[in-house]
Amino acid sequence: MDIGALGVYMCLFIALYFEVFLLISFLEKRPTPKSVTLPKHFPTVSMLVPCWNEEKTIGRTIESLLALDYPKDKLEIMVIDDGSKDGTRAIAERYAAEHPQVKYFHKENGGKYTALNFGIEHSTSELLGCLDADSFVAQDGLMEMIKRFESDPEIMAITPAMKVFKPHTVLELMQSVEYTFGIFYKKMFDNLSAVNVLPGPFSMYKRAAFEKIGIFRHAHNTEDMEIAFRMHAHGLKIVNAHTAFVYTTAPKTFRALVKQRTRWSQGFLQNSFDYRYMYFNPRFGHFGMLVLPFGLIAFFAGIYAASYTLFHFLYSLVNRGLDLYATRIPPHVPQIRPEWFYLDTSMMTFLIVFTLCMTLVAILIGGQIAQTRLTLKSYASYILLFGLVAPFWLVRALWGAVRAKESAWR
Amino acid sequence: MAWKRYFIAFFITVAIFGTAFYIAARIDDQRVADIRAAEDSVSVDILSSETQYELLNNLDCKTISANPILSSELNSLASRLSVAEDNLGATNAEVIQLKERYSLLEIKDYLLMEQVSKKCDLKPVYILYFYSNTGNCPDCAHEGDVLTYLRQQYPGLRVYSFDYNLNLSALRTLISLQNLQGQLPALIINSREPIYGFKSLDQMQTLIPELKTLLATSTATTSTKGF
Repeated sequence: MDIGALGVYMCLFIALYFEVFLLISFLEKRPTPKSVTLPKHFPTVSMLVPCWNEEKTIGRTIESLLALDYPKDKLEIMVIDDGSKDGTRAIAERYAAEHPQVKYFHKENGGKYTALNFGIEHSTSELLGCLDADSFVAQDGLMEMIKRFESDPEIMAITPAMKVFKPHTVLELMQSVEYTFGIFYKKMFDNLSAVNVLPGPFSMYKRAAFEKIGIFRHAHNTEDMEIAFRMHAHGLKIVNAHTAFVYTTAPKTFRALVKQRTRWSQGFLQNSFDYRYMYFNPRFGHFGMLVLPFGLIAFFAGIYAASYTLFHFLYSLVNRGLDLYATRIPPHVPQIRPEWFYLDTSMMTFLIVFTLCMTLVAILIGGQIAQTRLTLKSYASYILLFGLVAPFWLVRALWGAVRAKESAWR
Repeated sequence: MAWKRYFIAFFITVAIFGTAFYIAARIDDQRVADIRAAEDSVSVDILSSETQYELLNNLDCKTISANPILSSELNSLASRLSVAEDNLGATNAEVIQLKERYSLLEIKDYLLMEQVSKKCDLKPVYILYFYSNTGNCPDCAHEGDVLTYLRQQYPGLRVYSFDYNLNLSALRTLISLQNLQGQLPALIINSREPIYGFKSLDQMQTLIPELKTLLATSTATTSTKGF
């Protein structure tokens, strides 16, 4: 066996180990279905909507917040305009004029986290929610969050179950499967008390959390990740509300997707470096022992597997060309024999199949948790496309992190 | 920390690896069994042809020539052996044994073909190809490709390929009878003098003018790497 293949076996072992670990976690504690009960109390809530040139989606985002099942006197919607140059201001001001719940703020452009901090400082509510201006909350989303907060007074922050908003294109369909997989593993991270990120679309915080650890910091354009790391560092509890749905607009083009994921991946690398003391540190539980190390290993394993596949593909292509040149055999399609004898039945093939099957099981569970129905086309898009596109942002993120270059927001 | 979960996950992952290894090994065993069965079948075919030949004793060439001696199973065996060699390794004892049996069958088929051809005045086009895959013959893989392609283009072409390094007395005798000098790859075309070294497709077509007498086809029939 060549060393390259040995590396692939190691990647497969780690991937399988992680999937098995999460499935064990699932079997130990299965997610409970949505209940019809109402919360006992309705705390005051400020939904912070940072926006920068979001004229296309801001209206719908505010509408989704206005439609939330929640006492109107307990919910304020703070639209914080981070120096938009488009029609965002006009739209948001119109809503503010028509709905007393909506408050519009304008500030100099300083980045999303500065808009969030502005909101935190200008609100007095007990709970603070963030909502990206390209995302829309389900009508009962906030109620589900409140119920989750009520279930354990220790909880300091909650992440929702994120879905892709009306996926149509192949890239969006691919992401809809990926997000469904995400719903599964985020719930399992919750089981393990190791939720690793508080995403922009509809994460909620207790004000006490900011009082304990401070507000958002400039952190490699992934402030939502840094704050999760910081909360773990201070022993604050983050959970996942799998019944609180939020729909987010996924990047429609390859370029936009790579840009977004490069920012996420590079942010993970750079935040990992900043919080490196948490790695393999049992003091931080499964977050330090499993989630962080696996995330980093998965990052490099992804690059390795992609490089190995690409190298083999190019190597056999060049070799075939050289062989044809040397032998003077005209180019022809190699013979395909439709017999079991000629199928690739190596150990690696079976392991790849096992890993894929377990991923599919995880996606199916994710779909069940979030009541998402994925089409066959979505599955096909994910299986055929994800492995091809992911290496682009992994490599770009690594390059950016090595050069310590700030990744772009858009 | 619940370390138990870490250990359980580790053991389950190891078990999955073990299962994958076991399944792959069982399928390889099945492949070997499949090759053995095919060899038995070819062996019976050859024995039957030999017996038929002896029974008819050159009286009915029509019957004999209507039954091609080099059965399609022998060709198919070659490509199967190639897969087995890739999966299990060229030094695997079982692969070597299968190759020895295959070589014996080839020699028997070759001898029978020569006898039939002489008595029935047939003019088969055949190549005895000697190769090595132990690393001392870098051109053998290329030569194998050329022969595979030729055999695909001319299904009537008989290619008998032999691993020069097999420790098989019948093969050693064949090598000494053909006066081979040890240089590889070596080709003997229609009982002519041995040709040494790599020959490209163009060169082979020049070296075997008899190919024109064979019916060319675009239908692929078999592929071999070394066999």
